[in-house]
Amino acid sequence: MADTTLTGIPVATGIAIGKAYFVNRNHMANLPRQIVAAEDMPAEIERLHAAFKSVEKELASIREQVPEELKSHGSLIDTHLMMLKDPKLSGSAEKYIETLGLNAAWALEKAVSDQEAAFEAIKDQYIRERMQDVRVVAEKVQIKLMGVKSDLNSISGRAIIMAHDLTPADTVELQVDKIMAFATVRGGKTSHTGIMARSLNIPALVGVGRLEEIHDGDLVIIDGLTGKIVVNPTESELADYNERAALFEDYTRKIRRHCHLPAETFDGSRVMVQANIELVEEVTAVLDNGGEGVGLYRTEYAYLNRTSLPTEEELAEKYIDLAAIMAPRKVVFRTLDLGSDKFISTFGELNETNPAMGLRAIRFCLKNPQLFKTQLRAILRASAYGNVSLMFPMISGVKEIRQAKAWLAQAKAELRREGVKYDPDMPLGTMIELPAAVFIAEFLAHEVDFFSIGTNDLIQYSIGVDRTNRHVSYLYQPLHPATLRAIKLVVDAAHQAGIEVSLCGEVASDPFCVPILLGMGIDSISMTPQAIPGIKRIIRQTNMHDCRLLLKDVLECRTVSRINNLVMDNIFKHFPEEVTFFSSLLENDEQPS
Amino acid sequence: MTDANNNTDEAPEYLSRKVIVASENGLHARPAGRLAQEAQAFEANISLVHDGQTVDAKSILDILTLAAGPGNMVELRAEGSDAEAALNRLEALFLNKFEEA
Repeated sequence: MADTTLTGIPVATGIAIGKAYFVNRNHMANLPRQIVAAEDMPAEIERLHAAFKSVEKELASIREQVPEELKSHGSLIDTHLMMLKDPKLSGSAEKYIETLGLNAAWALEKAVSDQEAAFEAIKDQYIRERMQDVRVVAEKVQIKLMGVKSDLNSISGRAIIMAHDLTPADTVELQVDKIMAFATVRGGKTSHTGIMARSLNIPALVGVGRLEEIHDGDLVIIDGLTGKIVVNPTESELADYNERAALFEDYTRKIRRHCHLPAETFDGSRVMVQANIELVEEVTAVLDNGGEGVGLYRTEYAYLNRTSLPTEEELAEKYIDLAAIMAPRKVVFRTLDLGSDKFISTFGELNETNPAMGLRAIRFCLKNPQLFKTQLRAILRASAYGNVSLMFPMISGVKEIRQAKAWLAQAKAELRREGVKYDPDMPLGTMIELPAAVFIAEFLAHEVDFFSIGTNDLIQYSIGVDRTNRHVSYLYQPLHPATLRAIKLVVDAAHQAGIEVSLCGEVASDPFCVPILLGMGIDSISMTPQAIPGIKRIIRQTNMHDCRLLLKDVLECRTVSRINNLVMDNIFKHFPEEVTFFSSLLENDEQPS
Repeated sequence: MTDANNNTDEAPEYLSRKVIVASENGLHARPAGRLAQEAQAFEANISLVHDGQTVDAKSILDILTLAAGPGNMVELRAEGSDAEAALNRLEALFLNKFEEA
């Protein structure tokens, strides 16, 4: 048996086998604490300053390498540089050497603690959190003083990166050509680590428990398909995974070769396969993987991790870029979907007892019309440059969508008056992600040009389950009869009203669900760009007739396990490879004992 | 907004100006960094006074701990050979909101 097997949330698929390399490991546990003799103090002070200078030089050189498109990372490094140069930090450390005779690393630790005390009293949350930056720079100096070589920039040979957390600033420093995979303790599906890993096409796991048990140099297997990390595997495990890795590589190569062909079934039905993205930089991944458009552009990113709201100009610049690059392909902008797990510091902490059901998404925007209109104007401006659609998240009723439309009309009127170009016929849609919206789909269909079903939230709200809660996450089941019936209701309502319906969410990229969605007659599915080739392959190797038959059987099932079995059989028959690589998606239909 | 308070007989040794924090988010990381950077270019001892707290204007950490919000008044004090020039420069920074976009 291997030493240990850890589990995490896979955020980028693939299998990597290599040596573990810890970055940002908590060196502080081994911080030397010694008293320096009086005659050695001047030398110790010199060592302190030399360490500061050397880190400063490193940061400055990294700062120079930050590419233009990562400007925001650059300014973070500027802040770090200023903190490093702050006479306060080095000065107070120096004093601790002089007066108490502490060694340099310990003296700096004391200086940082003093600073921490001063920051703790600050009410402004954003400023209070800058203490983390002070820690980061101080640790760099301490690591230098301790002579530990764990620098992000000094990885020798290819390695699997392990970290408690990777900040955007860390990722700027990483030498991407040497990274085989990522594993971090913190981070969620849409964290920076995940985006970075997907764009590098390497496997990554986040939310890994007990990661600290792994040592530098341990041989580890990162399985980005099942979310497992095997530490110091046995010969047979190694052989097993080597084979799986090779198979998976073959499989991905094969499906990528055909990813630019249209998603058309044997019997001639066409489905649009589009991508969900949140950064303009991801368009390369969309196009490389054969995405036929952007079915969901998450606009939150521009609002997070900053202290002021983005201006219309800033947003418009990004949106226009995206629309123009993708044209004539479609880009669907989803208006700001903040709240619940994502906040902007400008609005402070929304301390809600039940954030998933609180002030979020469209509710938040309607409460902050200025912010909403700024975004609507920016999206409208982009519509003049490409094939742009707009949709509102979390709509629960007809009145809500009318209110949102009223703001849109006002934004249009303003632009018209100002003589700014926009597409007056820009299609407008609504997300269907609340059970309420499902039940009134036929009414909502008269208000908009298209629907987009957001299955992640729809499943969460329909089954009443928080899928990040480990006690109940087993209940989160895409193939629950209720979920499938809900989707069917929405598709039927849309088609009856003559509007199109799209589906974004993990269900769209789940090979086991796609044939069912096809059977329902869904017009478009949207998923992470990297999933597109695999899903296109499924679509191109099936026919609509079979999908309809499968759907009919599935809709008669009363339990999830029954549906899972049917779907499994179907996939087994037609797509044995998908069963090999993706069957873990179906593993969680039993309550854990 | 400015309030020159040059050294008369009883006045302290330093020169002083009062400024308003006009940047949208107050003295956050970027403006604080900018301010410290500019202050470091001068010989003079420069401090910021806000809400009864006096801190070193050459230290980004000090400036951050002031947590001066938008609309707050801050007093700039400088003492030394180029005190006047320092105040002029720093005051200008406050006036144009730290040259932020």
